[in-house]
Amino acid sequence: MSADTVQSIIDDLGALLLFTMILIIAASQISRAIYAVAAQSLLIAIAAGVLAKATGNVDLWVIAGVTLAVKAIALPWVLHWVVWRMNVRREVEPMIPVAATLALAVAVVVMSFHLSGSLGPVRQTITGNALPVGIALTLLGVLVMATRKTALTQMVGLFASENGIFFTAMAVTQGMPFIIEIGVTLDVILAALVMTIMVLKVRSTVDADIADLDRLKG
Amino acid sequence: MTGERPLGLVLLEMILLVLIGPLVTGVIQKLKARLQCRAGADILQPYRDLAKLFRKGTVQADTTSGFFRSIPVLVLAATVAAGALVPVLRAGPPAFPLGDALMLLGLLALARFLTAVGALDAGGAFGGMGASREMTIAPLVEPVLMMVVFSTAMAAGTTELGALAAHRGTSWIFAWRAADFLAFAALLVLLPAETGRIPVDNPDTHLELTMLHEGMLLEHSGPGLGCMVLASHTRQIVTLGLGAALFFPIGPTDGPGVMGLAVGAGAFAGKILALVIYLALVESSYAKLRLFRVPQYLGVGFVCALTALALRIL
Repeated sequence: MSADTVQSIIDDLGALLLFTMILIIAASQISRAIYAVAAQSLLIAIAAGVLAKATGNVDLWVIAGVTLAVKAIALPWVLHWVVWRMNVRREVEPMIPVAATLALAVAVVVMSFHLSGSLGPVRQTITGNALPVGIALTLLGVLVMATRKTALTQMVGLFASENGIFFTAMAVTQGMPFIIEIGVTLDVILAALVMTIMVLKVRSTVDADIADLDRLKG
Repeated sequence: MTGERPLGLVLLEMILLVLIGPLVTGVIQKLKARLQCRAGADILQPYRDLAKLFRKGTVQADTTSGFFRSIPVLVLAATVAAGALVPVLRAGPPAFPLGDALMLLGLLALARFLTAVGALDAGGAFGGMGASREMTIAPLVEPVLMMVVFSTAMAAGTTELGALAAHRGTSWIFAWRAADFLAFAALLVLLPAETGRIPVDNPDTHLELTMLHEGMLLEHSGPGLGCMVLASHTRQIVTLGLGAALFFPIGPTDGPGVMGLAVGAGAFAGKILALVIYLALVESSYAKLRLFRVPQYLGVGFVCALTALALRIL
């Protein structure tokens, strides 16, 4: 594949990644947000595959496979299982109205494009628009974590944010060292497991959610 | 670059749009019925409804002013004029000064405004409520639709729809840039709102508090109602045609004579059919949103369109 083709494919995937992120922010039910984050991980895996084909880096193929198996299939499945197990209300509970979050999201996207513009020389070496899109995804994931009350939607935000970091790193380095990628993936799995157990335990012992922890005063 | 469109062709396209508008509604209703395991009415039913309405007499509330009678005609005229701006059979700018995509959106907004004024004029409770709701939704839909147009126009350097379609060429989805995907996503979110369909409005109800557009038509009757209904059919196909012109190339554009036009007509029918199937699927698989949730739904379209613009500019 020629460099131009790769660049335009990465650009297109970046646009679709932003679209899934917008869906995550706007989702009014937890299950829809989970589907959106699964789709996002699938797109990341495709991007890894495209870069692997373009650079001939074998590690990237493995990373694409691991991303597909872990982040696009296993983790969303775990999240769905927790939702089913906890039998919670299926609606996300935002701290501020979703419309306001969407307005903030616009500001974040414009800001990250503006910021990466000032990183001129860095941006030149990177495939297409991957840098601003990656920054935007990371920050929007943090935004989702900050504006949601329930732990589950915060987990979705964490995964989305992690996807953004992964996408940027992949596009910047044309494939990081294999051991780092695997380490990052293991981190995410571990975080998901810890949070799942924590959410279920908190739920089963005191019947409260993360937002109620505010009321604990020392 | 393709040739220009002569006056005759533009007029032909406009008449064609008005004629097949009701058919599109009929097909959507039939598809919806089949998806819900019903037999459904014939796809020609909207034509029969129109014919029936035009044969009937007019009854009018005592409270209406003289302006009320002219409203349906004005609304229909504005919508049909908007139809003249949509390239149907062939891409390329018209051979004479006609107007661009902004003109089209302006005419549709004018039709919407006149409909709301008519509903308020009659003084009925339903009409006033429908008008107020429609005017709440409209400022959320129209700017986003403009941004979608702009994000395509930025690349082509013109807002003339025929020239936009010609610039898009015949290379289908493979020539799409990143911004086009987001703009198209925004358009898909907007289409049900602009055509008055289910997540935003319910076209099937006549006497519920959920209705927007139908509520404004309650005071009209006979030929006047016929004009309003025909205008809403036309508005729907004009919106679909706008989407098709912005994102899908208009057939093999420089085919010679009648043959090229026939291919263009076939391509147009295919594109409209694809969008119609999308609308029917959305209508069958979603429930109508609460009115206060509509801004959130349209917000998705807004953010998508703005991001598309950001991708183009920055």
